[in-house]
Amino acid sequence: MDVSDSVLDHLRHVAALPDLSGTRYELESEIGRGGMGVVYAARDRQLDRRVALKVLDSALAGEAQLIARLEHPAIVPIYETGELPDGRAFYAMKLVAGARLDHYLAGSPSLGERLRVIRRVGEALAFAHTRGTIHRDLKPQNVMVGEFGEVYVMDWGVAAIAGTPAFRAPEASLDQRSDIYALGALLEFMLIAPGSSAAPPALRAIAAKAMSADPAARYPVAAALLADIDRFQEGRAVEAWSEPLWHRLRRFGSHNAVLLWLLAAYAIVKFALFFLRTR
Amino acid sequence: MGGPHGQFPSTQLSLLEAATAGLPNDALERVIALYWKPVYRFIRIKFRKDNEDAKDLTQSFFTTALERDFFVRFDPAKASFRTYLRMAVERFAANQHAAANRQKRGGEVTFEPVEEQAVTTESPEQAFEREWQRQLFALAIEDLRVLCEESGKQIQFQIFDAYDLAGGERPSYAELAARHGIAETSVTNYLAWARRTLRGFVNDRLRGVTSGERELREEMRRLWM
Amino acid sequence: MNKILVGLLFGLLLGALDGATAAFYPETRNLMTGIMVGSSIKGMLVGLLSGWFARKVQSTKWGIAMGAALGLLFAFGVAAMQHEHYLEIMLPGFVTGAIIGFLTQRMGAAKLAEKREA
Repeated sequence: MDVSDSVLDHLRHVAALPDLSGTRYELESEIGRGGMGVVYAARDRQLDRRVALKVLDSALAGEAQLIARLEHPAIVPIYETGELPDGRAFYAMKLVAGARLDHYLAGSPSLGERLRVIRRVGEALAFAHTRGTIHRDLKPQNVMVGEFGEVYVMDWGVAAIAGTPAFRAPEASLDQRSDIYALGALLEFMLIAPGSSAAPPALRAIAAKAMSADPAARYPVAAALLADIDRFQEGRAVEAWSEPLWHRLRRFGSHNAVLLWLLAAYAIVKFALFFLRTR
Repeated sequence: MGGPHGQFPSTQLSLLEAATAGLPNDALERVIALYWKPVYRFIRIKFRKDNEDAKDLTQSFFTTALERDFFVRFDPAKASFRTYLRMAVERFAANQHAAANRQKRGGEVTFEPVEEQAVTTESPEQAFEREWQRQLFALAIEDLRVLCEESGKQIQFQIFDAYDLAGGERPSYAELAARHGIAETSVTNYLAWARRTLRGFVNDRLRGVTSGERELREEMRRLWM
Repeated sequence: MNKILVGLLFGLLLGALDGATAAFYPETRNLMTGIMVGSSIKGMLVGLLSGWFARKVQSTKWGIAMGAALGLLFAFGVAAMQHEHYLEIMLPGFVTGAIIGFLTQRMGAAKLAEKREA
């Protein structure tokens, strides 16, 4: 029998759709394709709400249980895990309305806003690390920014297979420091986004330190990276960067601008009065 | 043409497993069943052979080139098995082509017959993969048909055939329900079952021509839309 | 360290320094001790009140304004007592007050609140 082109494509599509009979979900549409499976929008008939359903190619449902126990504003909550009639594992999670990070950057957010996003991601990482969970595949496609500016980190615990080489640490076994690497790569990604002005060298240095080839040279914990970003935003010296003297003076100048101007005003007043008097 | 459908083992071994377990004939059968048509089409397009020549070349490729260590030499890290086999076909056909040309040298001027084929916009490599996908599904559909016949699920297959395998316009669920005297929900359920089972057969066959989990997953990702 | 303390310390320091600049004027050189003591007290008063203000209102802008106003006020008082050197006392006093006001806003307790903002 001969399978025509149109039938072939039809079958490739239709037999790939998850069969949700027997579950409480109703398939709506495909949202995207991730590391280990496809994400669909679906409707939970029982609770009458829309959810995101991630259907895994192969049975690695164990991760879902681990992630379900993490409760953090930046970690997408998992509602349920299960198995489809065709044997595939799936999990239902909160349907996040928002933009993926690469799309979010297209809106040219300010540096402060971008750093805020990095901070949220870093906090989520720090939280997960203290609970013993590693993300392993952190990249822009796994970060979403909601309509109110909420930040979500998704696809936890997925072993990066083909992965995204630019965000994947060089070492073979992945641990917390690999997540730090990815966080640095994320920062770098946000700094060189099109439409943004030149990236401050201090921030580039922070990203570079996080992305050191030697894991021991990176920040030991996510909180340390965030602390350096804090220092940058407060106009203080950053741990990752040994800045040239003139830059240090400039920074000191701009950070203490008001005070320096006031002192200058005092000096000017004094000098002016003195010379006017003695004339 | 074509290889035997044969009785496939209920648990499909991956290609390497079959080869190392010393069952080369079994693996060979599976490979031929799936790859015969794609290889034929590839040779026709790429080397511009006519029907008879292409058939001969395809046959001789499978008989001579697929000796035992063809599988062992395959390195899954370098390419998919599909690509590996296609490249082997290329080498084989190119060698035959060169050998044939060597015979022609000696002053004879021969005009290669201009192949008039359907103008294909796709490259030989794309045609090869497409035909491979087509065969994969054709075999899986046959598996499904056999299963339905043997387990008394003829009506399920009929519904599936009428809807999913329809060439032109698809009938509505209501029409199908009326035609077979069943409820519309049954149509939905039968289709879901058939598709699920088909998917299983396709993946089984896919497992039989891939080297292991990793390659299987990647091929699955490529295949399913 | 709370803001009132910051105000007192910097007020003392800056007041003393401001008073010390009187040494540039030959006519006042022999009155240095008195000038410096007066200036220090003036500074401490400005600092005390600025510090208290800074606890109530967190605004660099308003802190500077308040400090400057207080500095001007007390400087006027001092100048009025002398009946002369109004400009030389009030203008520097104005700027010194502004500096004290700024410092009480920036330093001392309640500084943490600013860091949260990213």
